Amino acid sequence: MTGRIVEIAEDGRHLAKNRGFLTVNAGGEEIGRLPLDDIAAVIASAHGITYSNSLLVALAERNAPLVVCAANFMPAAVLLSADGHHEQAGRMMDQAAASKPLRKRLWAQLVSAKIEAQAATLKVVGARHEGFGLLARKVRSGDPDNVEAQAARRYWPLLFGADFRRDRAAGGLNALLNYTYTVLRAGTARAVMGAGLHPSFGLAHRQRGNPFALADDLMEPFRPVADLLVFEAARAGIREPDKDSKPALARVLITDMSTAAGVSPVGVCLQRLAVSLAQCFGGETRILELPRPTLPLEG
Amino acid sequence: MPPDRPALSGYRMMWLYVMFDLPVGTPAERKAATKFRHFLLDQAFEMAQFSVYLRFAESKEAAETLIGRVGDALPRHGKVHIVSLTDKQYGNARIFTGRKRERSPKNPNQLALF
Repeated sequence: MTGRIVEIAEDGRHLAKNRGFLTVNAGGEEIGRLPLDDIAAVIASAHGITYSNSLLVALAERNAPLVVCAANFMPAAVLLSADGHHEQAGRMMDQAAASKPLRKRLWAQLVSAKIEAQAATLKVVGARHEGFGLLARKVRSGDPDNVEAQAARRYWPLLFGADFRRDRAAGGLNALLNYTYTVLRAGTARAVMGAGLHPSFGLAHRQRGNPFALADDLMEPFRPVADLLVFEAARAGIREPDKDSKPALARVLITDMSTAAGVSPVGVCLQRLAVSLAQCFGGETRILELPRPTLPLEG
Repeated sequence: MPPDRPALSGYRMMWLYVMFDLPVGTPAERKAATKFRHFLLDQAFEMAQFSVYLRFAESKEAAETLIGRVGDALPRHGKVHIVSLTDKQYGNARIFTGRKRERSPKNPNQLALF
């Protein structure tokens, strides 16, 4: 199930549950309803939103995170299920006990996949992408040479021009990126919880202040897909995330990627990746299930 | 607008109709009928008409799951039809209120913005 993203972007909305639906109310009237079972995540970006408790319970039961956004679409908090998977306790223990060498090996796989995905995105937009394959192969366990940063230094100017600086607090392209990453992060957090893992114990993102370290790790190989959507939006003249551009950006979770099991949307790839990570922690496998570097995106 | 990517390509979107005619002569029968109706609402079927309920399913597999759930919740008496239409077929539906033609509901968007 890929699921839908619900975003509340205007003030004065009240969200509630009515039988199997999430209902959106404004001024005492219902203005929309969606099947709870079809929701992948709820993103709250407006100021004046109220919620009913039974709605929050229903979302948690379905592993659908509620993402509370601050300015510029940076997530400030996420409400997640306390019981996402029947083996959750066991899997979290495996995760917490994972050895440092294992975490470093897994991180190297993610970085390598991210760099290959960056190359694919550059290729799709017709930019130069030589050398990225070499960089991807250079990644060693734990990425001690920080090949990830080397690739990023080349990648951003090639994609968005020499003047571009990735700055989370800036507007324009950066706000478009923030928005698309927020959708991606919500989808990743859901996949992590669905696999019975804890989002706070990351592989490489281990800052103490980051409650979504693992989601941030796992979304890395998919960021270039988000970048591509932002690139296309920018080329079409879009400057800020607004009600016309957001639907195109939110498609990041349903963008198709090619995988060993055929074509699957990003949302499903994330679920497979999270499950394979849980299996790595449990010692059942050593290889993460990642989409192929080629993106079947032309068209 | 950016180019429209093929969303959920290779997925067959479906619409499910559940139509029922249930006996409501005795309190027990009314209770069973209400229970079934509430079950449909809990599964996010929406009322299209009295005793005709409608739900979108994003794939054939999702539709099969829902059909299975309805099958497990059938009331003991009465008649229930489950009809599934592909999105293309559903697009040809004509819906009237009085003599006024209504727009047929569109596929749910990936992003629901409120």
